[in-house]
Amino acid sequence: MSALTSTQTRPIWKRLNWNVTTKQALFAYAILFPTIAILALFRFFPMLQAFYVSLTEYDLLRPPKFIGLENFIDLVQDPLFLSSARISIMYVVLSCVPVWVLSLGLAVLFNRHIVAKNFFRSAAFMPVVMPAVVNAVVWTFMYHQDGVVNTVIGWFGVDPIPWLRSSAWALWAVIIIGIWRATPYYMVIFLAGLQAIPEEYYEAAQIDGASAWSQFRHITLPLLKPTTLLVMVMSVIVAMKVFAVPMIMTGGGPADSTRVLPLMIYQTAFEFFKMGRAAAMSIFLFAAVMIFTVFQIRLFARGEE
Amino acid sequence: MSKRLSLVLLVVILLAVIAACAPAPTPIPPTAAPKPTDAPKPTTAPAQPTAAPATKAPEPTKAGFAFPTENITIEVWWHEYAPMTAYVKELIEAYKKVRPNVTVNATVASSTDMNTKLTAALAAGTGPDVMDADASYYVAYYTKGVLEPANLDVFGVKTYQELADKYVPGGLASGTFDGKIYTLPYQGNSMSLFLNNKLFAAAGLDVKKDAPKTWNDLMALCTKLKKVEGNRTSQKAFEFPYHSPRWQLQDLQPMTEQFGGKLLSDDGKTAYLNSPEAVKALTLWRDVTKACGDPKNTKNTASDPNKDFLDGFTAMWITGPWATPQVTASPVKNDFTVVGLPQVDPAKPKTMVYGWAWGVYNKRPDKNKIAAWDFVKFMLSKPDEWLGKAGFVQPVKGVSDSATAKNFPFFDVHMKDVQTATWYIRSEFVNEIAQAVGRAVDSVVYDGKDPKAALDEAQAAVEKVLKK
Amino acid sequence: MKNILRHRSNLIVYPLLLVVAFIGLLPYYWMVSCSFKLNENMFAYPLQWFPDPINWLAYPAAWKAQDFTRYFVNSAFVAIAITLGNLLLASLAGYSLAKFQYKGRNILFLLILSTMMLPLEVTMVPLFLIIKQFDWANTYEGLIVPFFVDGFGVFLMRQYLLSIPKDLLEAARMDGASEFRIYAQIVMPLCKPALAALGVFTFREAWDMYIWPLIIVTKDSLKTVPLGISLFMSNFGVAWDQLMAIAAIGTLPMLLLFFFLQRSFIQGIAITGLKE
Repeated sequence: MSALTSTQTRPIWKRLNWNVTTKQALFAYAILFPTIAILALFRFFPMLQAFYVSLTEYDLLRPPKFIGLENFIDLVQDPLFLSSARISIMYVVLSCVPVWVLSLGLAVLFNRHIVAKNFFRSAAFMPVVMPAVVNAVVWTFMYHQDGVVNTVIGWFGVDPIPWLRSSAWALWAVIIIGIWRATPYYMVIFLAGLQAIPEEYYEAAQIDGASAWSQFRHITLPLLKPTTLLVMVMSVIVAMKVFAVPMIMTGGGPADSTRVLPLMIYQTAFEFFKMGRAAAMSIFLFAAVMIFTVFQIRLFARGEE
Repeated sequence: MSKRLSLVLLVVILLAVIAACAPAPTPIPPTAAPKPTDAPKPTTAPAQPTAAPATKAPEPTKAGFAFPTENITIEVWWHEYAPMTAYVKELIEAYKKVRPNVTVNATVASSTDMNTKLTAALAAGTGPDVMDADASYYVAYYTKGVLEPANLDVFGVKTYQELADKYVPGGLASGTFDGKIYTLPYQGNSMSLFLNNKLFAAAGLDVKKDAPKTWNDLMALCTKLKKVEGNRTSQKAFEFPYHSPRWQLQDLQPMTEQFGGKLLSDDGKTAYLNSPEAVKALTLWRDVTKACGDPKNTKNTASDPNKDFLDGFTAMWITGPWATPQVTASPVKNDFTVVGLPQVDPAKPKTMVYGWAWGVYNKRPDKNKIAAWDFVKFMLSKPDEWLGKAGFVQPVKGVSDSATAKNFPFFDVHMKDVQTATWYIRSEFVNEIAQAVGRAVDSVVYDGKDPKAALDEAQAAVEKVLKK
Repeated sequence: MKNILRHRSNLIVYPLLLVVAFIGLLPYYWMVSCSFKLNENMFAYPLQWFPDPINWLAYPAAWKAQDFTRYFVNSAFVAIAITLGNLLLASLAGYSLAKFQYKGRNILFLLILSTMMLPLEVTMVPLFLIIKQFDWANTYEGLIVPFFVDGFGVFLMRQYLLSIPKDLLEAARMDGASEFRIYAQIVMPLCKPALAALGVFTFREAWDMYIWPLIIVTKDSLKTVPLGISLFMSNFGVAWDQLMAIAAIGTLPMLLLFFFLQRSFIQGIAITGLKE
């Protein structure tokens, strides 16, 4: 907003050169302003405070005490924090990679002539619509030892799996829900990307005798690149912040096997009363997401005007 | 034309935003630090609490104490538990008649969320006049200086000891800090062993004769009470809790004490999680689980902790007297028996008690604090109704003699377990300790880790926390 | 030849689609079927695929257990207000970021994006202190205003608007249309699919809000549906049939919204992923 600030006494509108570009820029600033104002007050400001709090020892009830980087130094040596970070990374990788593959696969599936396409597409899309709390409660129910998931895998002769009662399986249980809920959303994005690829490319390839796989490999994938990047950025941001499902379903257990970083941050702040430490953890989380996103946006930027 | 329009639009938007911001032009001090005035002064926070009985603090009653007459509105928060909510609402109505000038605003939140909600409110200085929390949380609140000691004038006593004398010995231990009483429990739950009569009978056992007194007795019953069909356990003999670390600590604490040890020193400064006694306790835990239970198959959840017992899936289960109304409403109905917590050595019984208590927020006007304690006193004045309507045992003298207590199933058993009990560990860091214990138990039971190694890790984690 | 090929691949495609539909719908079916089961049959082994006998009482009992009429009105009001705010402000901001050149644009966009990256659990306490300064605890303002616009919405609208040809706007400018008119009469109508997508997603997030209302609401008259649902999971032991019933009712507004807006909504998310 530097264009508007001045110590001179002449009214702004007399000093400004009202050429078209300035006028447009002013309009652009004006319509952006309410968003910036609200976000500044209710997002940036709390974020800045979180940054400050990360440098303090703060139990929420007594005033924060400045301790410099102690929280950070402590965290990188804390096995519990490191194990939580590792679980978060595992969650992100093990849920996002299948999401990318499955959503692209489903998009390819829906990008052809199908009888009752609307029904199938709606059914596939349903997971996105379920509210988060309901989602966690219903799946808790389905994951029970004698529950519906084990019954279904039993049809294929698989022995019951102690989904939420085993430190080997609990993270997978959480990951499966993540995949279930995210895949249809990105499928729709991929679907649009596919529909934008001109049919002629494929026709030309068929004339050259290219196999279906080779068409997919040499036409579809390269042309989907911008869409793929978008899906990657969004899915990773969402996965890094996963909270409600492990919170309600497992509370982080058994034996810490599902204590993802956001859950650990929440518990450190509100169950252990260590806001400073929690804030420091979230700076790590923030940095991880930010680095990844900036990296992706730079890749994006190449395709833009 | 268009120039003017966009200018007008800009002004309108600016005005709208400024208007929206108007109520608080400088909402937060520039340092970006939460306002120091919102938090209590550090000087009010004494060192570690001690479990010393309330002996001293002889504050004489001011002559002519009178309840304020002006209009007062107090906020009361409690955790959702259907029978309790109904009863407290009843009490609020009744209180209106006693104190017409006091308005009580009630807020209910689920037990799992109450702590978060309360912490955020206390951090912002907007806590309720009367708060409800698990007794073990109050150590943290006391240490952080937000609790108001009991108002002796309101209770019509001269010393804290006089107030403590109304309770069974140790009944107020959880809420007594540095000789003053800060919180009053409305439930002090023993942890006792519930038995399913039908399942006992079906296994050819007589619940009266065969009820276990020791852990060895209990293990001996398991071969008869545990049923396995193929790969699937269709009935468990006994199970430890696996739905919440707090519950796991609830069981491991008395077991460790039965072996002659303890998990935490009385001043709360030293942890003994990997002491030989604790290792013995966890080893016993693991062996009992192997013989009697199947921790992979349980329907218990943090919000439905007794489910397996209620469904007749587990024959023996450790829980508190508050579960009684749930059991009678379940398919088990009245076909159950309660016996004391299994012991290592029945000659030297060790049990545990935990519960929830009322506290009063000290950052409120004086008249509110008086009204708050007055309301707490009023609420707690009928222990037999608490027992009858909510199933909560108040650790008050004389409650055993009431008709309600005589009709309450196995009231004597619960009361007997309370008398040999230690309160749930008192520490500012109770949640971190519980989490460390839970992690150790889980890794021993689910991952086959060695109990000593698991507890060594827990000890290391807790030591680090306590050192600060 | 082509027909046969198609026919053969259909042997894989349709079973696959059925599996996808089954997986997508199973949790919904389970929620609804359990809401009609008796509590003692809830965990029956082997499990009951269809409730037997049917328990009709869960829905009325759940509805009456708390003041759900009030909670639904509150949730609807809050969610609609937040949705409208996002539609207006995010479309304005997205338009600004996508179609204008000015100083600091990219850095502002990055800042807006950065707000998506910190979970609310972290900023909750500072935010609560700000709301307290405004005296907005226990008010609709406190529930609505902090979420009136969100980084995700701006991001979504910007991505969508990038795909609108610049020539269209230039032509309107040549005709002497004011900037605001261009936004209202040309840009907005083109944005319908994106607005539908943003609307559904904002509504879902707002309808889902849990921890924030938990902290700032203490009056029963201001409680929202998720707070009501959480009371069912109290320490007394869950009435599973009622919990499932209220979960089903709580999902219904989302489902209705989805089915009404389905077409433009799917188109909306879809085009977000496209760059010309």
